[in-house]
Amino acid sequence: MSDDKTLGERLRESGLSRRGFMKFCAATASMMALPPSMIPAIAAALEKARRPSVIWLSFQECTGYTESLTRSHSPTIESLIFDHISLDYHHTLQAAAGDGAEAARKAAMKENWGKYLLVVDGAIPQKDGRVYSAIAGMTNLEMLKEVAEGAAAVVAVGTCAAYGGLPKASPNPTGATYVSDLITDKPVLNVPSCPPIPVVISGTLAHYLTFGTLPELDHLGRPKAFYGQSIHDRCYRRPFYERGQFAETFDDEGARKGWCLYKLGCKGPVTYNACATTKWNEGTSFPIQSGHGCIGCSEPDFWDKGGFYEALSKGTFSSAEGIALAAGAGAAIGVAAAMGAKSRQTEADAKHKEDPA
Amino acid sequence: MTLLDFARGPALAWSLYILFFGSLLRLVGVLLARKHVDLSQPRNADTLGDSVRTVFTRFWFKPEFRASTLFITLIGYAMHIGLAVVVLLFVPHILFISKLSGLSWGGLPNDTIMLAGAITLAALVAMWVRRLQNPLMQAISNWEDHLALFITGLPVLTGMMAYGHLFQDYPTLLAIHILSVELLFVWFPFGKLFHAVMWIPTRFKLGAHFSRRGVKA
Amino acid sequence: MSGLETIPVTVVTDEPLTQTGNMVPILNEIRHALSHPAETGESTTIDLGAIPFGPGEREELLATLGKGEIEATLHALGESLIHETAYPGVWIVTHRSPQGGELTTCIEVTRTPSLLSTPPADVSEAAAALKRYLQDHSARESA
Repeated sequence: MSDDKTLGERLRESGLSRRGFMKFCAATASMMALPPSMIPAIAAALEKARRPSVIWLSFQECTGYTESLTRSHSPTIESLIFDHISLDYHHTLQAAAGDGAEAARKAAMKENWGKYLLVVDGAIPQKDGRVYSAIAGMTNLEMLKEVAEGAAAVVAVGTCAAYGGLPKASPNPTGATYVSDLITDKPVLNVPSCPPIPVVISGTLAHYLTFGTLPELDHLGRPKAFYGQSIHDRCYRRPFYERGQFAETFDDEGARKGWCLYKLGCKGPVTYNACATTKWNEGTSFPIQSGHGCIGCSEPDFWDKGGFYEALSKGTFSSAEGIALAAGAGAAIGVAAAMGAKSRQTEADAKHKEDPA
Repeated sequence: MTLLDFARGPALAWSLYILFFGSLLRLVGVLLARKHVDLSQPRNADTLGDSVRTVFTRFWFKPEFRASTLFITLIGYAMHIGLAVVVLLFVPHILFISKLSGLSWGGLPNDTIMLAGAITLAALVAMWVRRLQNPLMQAISNWEDHLALFITGLPVLTGMMAYGHLFQDYPTLLAIHILSVELLFVWFPFGKLFHAVMWIPTRFKLGAHFSRRGVKA
Repeated sequence: MSGLETIPVTVVTDEPLTQTGNMVPILNEIRHALSHPAETGESTTIDLGAIPFGPGEREELLATLGKGEIEATLHALGESLIHETAYPGVWIVTHRSPQGGELTTCIEVTRTPSLLSTPPADVSEAAAALKRYLQDHSARESA
């Protein structure tokens, strides 16, 4: 539950020195992908930041987002952030179950009405009376609407919540849809990826905690600080793309030398995410560094944009038959037209011979 | 569906259907059309050699026309070679063609492609300025000549813009680039751009025509 | 037995590993930044976490900058290492979590990294603390 102490007061109570606080601010700035020149502003804001209540709802999802977050690689900094938010409801992490859990949610909503942050992971089914996912006797949509009503803002974590993700992939048997499709009267911030980079989730929450506002978003509702540049533009293999050096298979000379994976289907050029700089597993690497192309998981409908191993420029059509049919039809009509013209001319010639005048 | 999804999917499929339908329709229709019956006495009955020769002699002008044609011939070559380099030797383009044809070959580094693209665009602009300013060109030009230059130049321009992320984000520019290529595909069979296919049969026919009349050309 | 080392796979390549070529621009940025502390007192911080590097490139950059005369360790929220490089005025600040994981690494171009100088409030508190100690001390002496 929230209380009135600021983060600065809490940190000092826990015995953190001023240098330690500056270190915390430096790490937070880096996590939020803000320039180091922002550290004093972050320090001033964090000093005054108050503890928000967070309600976390999980719908059609695989818990990968929570797995990602709880394995984030700077646990101290993030635990300070999370010590400072009041996570009042989270299916996977909370100790309470059944009626007790729902009571905690209702109590948190009532106490912080209009001020709490709603985090959603997972898509929301809409087909067949929305029977495909329900919690405590409520459909996902009912619970989402109920909790969103009193929220200050909604954060859709993971591609499922942000854009529908896997549940929405064709043929979308449950009629799954995404948060911003259903919640239109509250600010909705998307933190997509499958799963999102832990630092990106906590960096986004840290931004809200620090400044009390949502960060600047792109046209797909993603924080620009993390999703402002494509994987391709920040990829360390980019020089090979420029020089025309590509891996042709996953085990050839080019692959061993770390050449560009464009020909093997890398979707880096049209995917906006922070993987190439923030990296995964304590900054160890990211998919391309491990030899696999980007699959574009932070983009809407990434599952239905053609094969993961088909080069981007090949297009998503599979129309060899269609082209053959079109060519055949063109040829047939061409033959018919030529024959028609010929027979008309032959007739005209015959008439001309009969009556040259 | 985003603009890029539309461009890469249904729009690409339909533009290719129209391209192949239209090209075959026009090619077959023209080639099977009834031959013109020439009742005059031929000066030369065996025209095959001259016809084949004309296909090649037209690659360069006669010395007499040097002053009037050198500029446009060089510009024409710059544009065509530049375009061929961009279309056939940029690796993403090769991948697209190989999906359609099953054929594959090596590409060039991107900066070379960008240089070729710049030359192509400059040559197209030079051709267009000449078409606008030269009184003879003005007299023989119709709207389609301008359109053909525009439709050819647009994919080059949008492709270079996409590569340089100019004014817009890459996915949007890529979608615009692909759509501009699709516009070219759709227009190609029905306009003057079809000379890319017809230049051999037309030169052959012209060679036969001149040869029969005894014209050395 | 993990047995990873028994798998007979070796990467054979005689070419250098992938290079982004980002090292030289960063060194140039540092060179430009070095003109500021002397002239205007302005310092520059470069967060290495925001820059794409190929395998081994970051290490190469740090090795190029080398080690200078000063090394300091801050013990707060885990260790932080602050050292001057072989180029005076260019500092490397690495923050680690108590678990030892790296939080951030920055290059600071400045005469003194801000973390090394004592926060003014700490100085006043120190004066007060020392005053308290001396008062207690003299009270004990006189007792």
